[in-house]
Amino acid sequence: MSTHSTDQKQISKVSPKTSTLVRARGYSAKAAAWLVMILFAVFSIIPMLWLVLAPSKTQVELQRDAPLSFGSFQGYRNAWENLNVFQDGRIVDWIINSIWYTGVQVLVACAVAILAGYALAATRLPFRKTMLIVTLVAMIVPQVAFVLPLFVEISALGLYNTAWAIILPGSFYPFGVFLSYIYFSSTIPAELYDAARIDGSGDWGIFFRVALPLAGGLIGMLAFFSFQVNWINFFLPFVVVSSGDVLTLPVGLGILFSSTPALSPQVGANALPIRAPEIALAGMIVAIPILIVFLASARLLVRGVLAGSVKS
Amino acid sequence: MNRKLIGALVMSGALLLSACAGATTTAEDSAGGGEEATGPRTLLIYVDPVREAAALAYQASVEGEIDVTIEVLGQEEIIAKVALANQTGEGWPDVTFNPSNNVGVFQDPLNGYALNLDDYVDPAIIDGYNGSGDWCVIDGSYWCLKNDLAQTVLWYDTVIFDELGLTVPTTMDEFAATALELAGTGYVAGAIGDQGFYAGYLWPSGCPISQVLDQDTVRINPDAVECTRVFELVQPLVDAGVLDTRGSFDAGFLEDVARQQNVAMTIGPSWWGQFVIRPEDSWAIPAGRMAAAEMPSWSGETTNWSGEWGGGVWVGNSNAPNPQDVADAIVYLATDPDMRADKVTFPGYKPAFEKWAAGLSSDPYYVGDVTAAMVVQAPKIRQDERPARFDLRGQLGVLGTELQGSGDVEASTRTFMAGAAELAAGVGYTVVK
Amino acid sequence: MLRHRAKLVGQINALLMFLPYLVLLVMFAIVPIVMAFQVSIGPSRLSPEGGIGNYMFVFQDFRFLSAVGNVALFLVIYLPAMLIVVAGLSLLLDTIKMKYTLPLRLAYLVPAGISGSVAILVWYFMLEPTYSPFAGIFAEFGITEGVEIFNTSNLVYIFALMAFFTGAGNWIVIQYGSLQSIPDEILEAARMDGANVFQMAFLIKLPLIRKYLVYMLILVFAAGLQIFVEPYLISSSVYPGLAKDWSLNQLSYTLAFLGSNLGAAMALSMVMLLVSVVVALIIIYRTDFFDEARLKVKDKK
Repeated sequence: MSTHSTDQKQISKVSPKTSTLVRARGYSAKAAAWLVMILFAVFSIIPMLWLVLAPSKTQVELQRDAPLSFGSFQGYRNAWENLNVFQDGRIVDWIINSIWYTGVQVLVACAVAILAGYALAATRLPFRKTMLIVTLVAMIVPQVAFVLPLFVEISALGLYNTAWAIILPGSFYPFGVFLSYIYFSSTIPAELYDAARIDGSGDWGIFFRVALPLAGGLIGMLAFFSFQVNWINFFLPFVVVSSGDVLTLPVGLGILFSSTPALSPQVGANALPIRAPEIALAGMIVAIPILIVFLASARLLVRGVLAGSVKS
Repeated sequence: MNRKLIGALVMSGALLLSACAGATTTAEDSAGGGEEATGPRTLLIYVDPVREAAALAYQASVEGEIDVTIEVLGQEEIIAKVALANQTGEGWPDVTFNPSNNVGVFQDPLNGYALNLDDYVDPAIIDGYNGSGDWCVIDGSYWCLKNDLAQTVLWYDTVIFDELGLTVPTTMDEFAATALELAGTGYVAGAIGDQGFYAGYLWPSGCPISQVLDQDTVRINPDAVECTRVFELVQPLVDAGVLDTRGSFDAGFLEDVARQQNVAMTIGPSWWGQFVIRPEDSWAIPAGRMAAAEMPSWSGETTNWSGEWGGGVWVGNSNAPNPQDVADAIVYLATDPDMRADKVTFPGYKPAFEKWAAGLSSDPYYVGDVTAAMVVQAPKIRQDERPARFDLRGQLGVLGTELQGSGDVEASTRTFMAGAAELAAGVGYTVVK
Repeated sequence: MLRHRAKLVGQINALLMFLPYLVLLVMFAIVPIVMAFQVSIGPSRLSPEGGIGNYMFVFQDFRFLSAVGNVALFLVIYLPAMLIVVAGLSLLLDTIKMKYTLPLRLAYLVPAGISGSVAILVWYFMLEPTYSPFAGIFAEFGITEGVEIFNTSNLVYIFALMAFFTGAGNWIVIQYGSLQSIPDEILEAARMDGANVFQMAFLIKLPLIRKYLVYMLILVFAAGLQIFVEPYLISSSVYPGLAKDWSLNQLSYTLAFLGSNLGAAMALSMVMLLVSVVVALIIIYRTDFFDEARLKVKDKK
């Protein structure tokens, strides 16, 4: 790979004068690079900052004062109380639903994906190649593409307007299966499997005693992606559930858009005390959990998700 | 184990599942309302935020007898919700508040949602509407009750009129002339970048947009003289800057124009006063300025017609096991005089209207009796426009968007009407000129 | 004999482990497609015979072509922006020392929480001059009105901006992670050869993460094709009708629930699904990204 013999010649070509020039150009290039990166970081943060600060102000303050100014902590309380006026605290239903639907989805999706990925990677599964191709295809085609067909099926199954209409499709996690497959086939050396097999363990034994204990990083990643996708999901719950008390927070937020004066002034100024600060609070409640999960899992992402090898 | 066998099993399992599921769908599709009413009586009511108070009042009035659940949603969602329920065969809302055109969509036999009210509503109630409830008549039966009338009137600011020495126009030509006199003064004659243009100009003029002639035919014709005269009259006003192309609720329009008390006059519906002009969060026009006059008439017309912006209807669920309860709820919500007295909109039902008007006509906020013009216009809502099977209300959003974007009245209206024609064809109408 | 029995037990165990996923796969991926296909070739008001009637209706619908155009233009703007910015920023991050870049990487992740309905909320306030922190910048360009920003010709840029904002940071961090997986020997060797920073980035690192970038583009393309939430919500609130039936998925939804034509809606869903699946298959069979995965399966026969 390396051609050390030519190095000598090349290094000797670099004179001290050229190297200063190179260094100067290097500094300004580096400064430019930092500027770009920091600018992008600033633009990344400003909207979230706005979202977090908005509920602390009143509607009037929001329009009048600086966009990133802080109002008062009482502002959050007021915004929360006003939000609860909508259908007598419907927002609490939405929050609770979002939490437990996503919780169940993540649990089921990860458990199923780990088992399936392991089966693909380390067992004598019949039709492995077909299953893998199907999983790859399902992975690339987003769930959104299935929503209207899912609606037809869910209504036929009688699950329409139930929590399960949201939870079950959300537990189908082909990306998790693929990640799990890659993990179990590349991170865990074949020798470990063989050794366990020689010791007399069956497939289940190997899974529980060899594979699972080493799958900490994998489980983290699976939970992370599954949580993100399911928490924010709009189209599926929107179509397969109709009653407000079964809906999730992102869809509830959409309902607030069209039924309150905050984003729909034609609804009427006096109808509900829900204006921009209140809606921002609702948006905050949707966004903050994802933010927390993301920041906490940043290390996992850094370690090379796609490259497949998650070194612990 | 035989791999082919496994494969075959999986595949046939999948097909079997889909076949069963498919069969269930067809079985449920033909389900009508024949269930026996067992257990406590329940009603599910869908309203928009403005009508929530009415629904709550109803809920209180039947407490103990009927278990009422109320859901609040945006007006554009109702057709979709009902369609979802139609598809799944369950979960219909029993009473819905709708934009007027929805009754056309729901009465469509292929939709089947709307309850025929003829058998369940006392004829005295229908009489109480004095004809203004006839929007709800399709093929000779009543399929809804009108919640309110949203007849357009001419709202004007007496202070600005005095200041500029203007007289209240009685014809559309006078309206245009008066509007042009506002040029350069900073005052405007209203905003047209929304449904108001359809309700206040196209509809009263008789431009054929949704003239349903029968179950199979609708007249949509942008070349009709009733349309072209609107283009010719309005475009110069837009060009002169005296008609704002933004929507009446646009944040910018509110800031720069409305809240600055720069609206000299505007053609707007009867609820404009209490809902838009007066509230602090809206135009916040001070007291003692605004008055309402009759609609200006188009030349050659014997009547000074109005259109309607809004004017909702209550539609009942034909699949409900307790249709009489549904009808009773609708009657209460649409007509109860005490409940309607302090609401924002002009009740269609006479006794309720009288109580409402009594409060408003002597209201010192307005100059003179604003209900006088409204009463005159109430029977003058032009009857050419009828409920249609396609979602006209959704399409109206396109009209507003086009006007805001281009400021070209004719092009925007043609785009809007072309879309309406396509939608009409898509639900089986023959579109005629 | 014993070996056969062991093999059988092995297969049964494997199947049991795989079964829950298989059930979900069949129930929530395969069956819906089959059912949707049945509805799409079924009868509807304008094509009582069924067959391809619904498909013809969709292709001739007055909104179809413009929806295709909208989505196509959206992708044409969105994908290259993603590629350039994500590749660029992740390379930049990789060039600087790791510990200094942690706060930056965390910052880039922040927008990931602003997705779907929250994105509409936040971006409405970011772009509406009356509320925006960037109002000053807008004013510099002579923009003071909401309608100057929120109009039909700008929609494609607004949605591309929203999608970009939500997704870019996430992918930057992921691609940065991919860059970390490049073996140090290769980088050392290149450095020894005298490669400067730019050559390192564009001639060495970039080609090595090429397939991960391709994978990102595929996922982003597939998701972008299906855009629904943002145009739908903006048309049902602040600017009614602004982006009505703007995207293909919106058209499908409208056909199903506002146009009482479930058959046509399913036809459109089928077509979109087909496009996504074809693209997926092309990627799987014609690129080397999944070769590694498939080869592993082959080995274990």
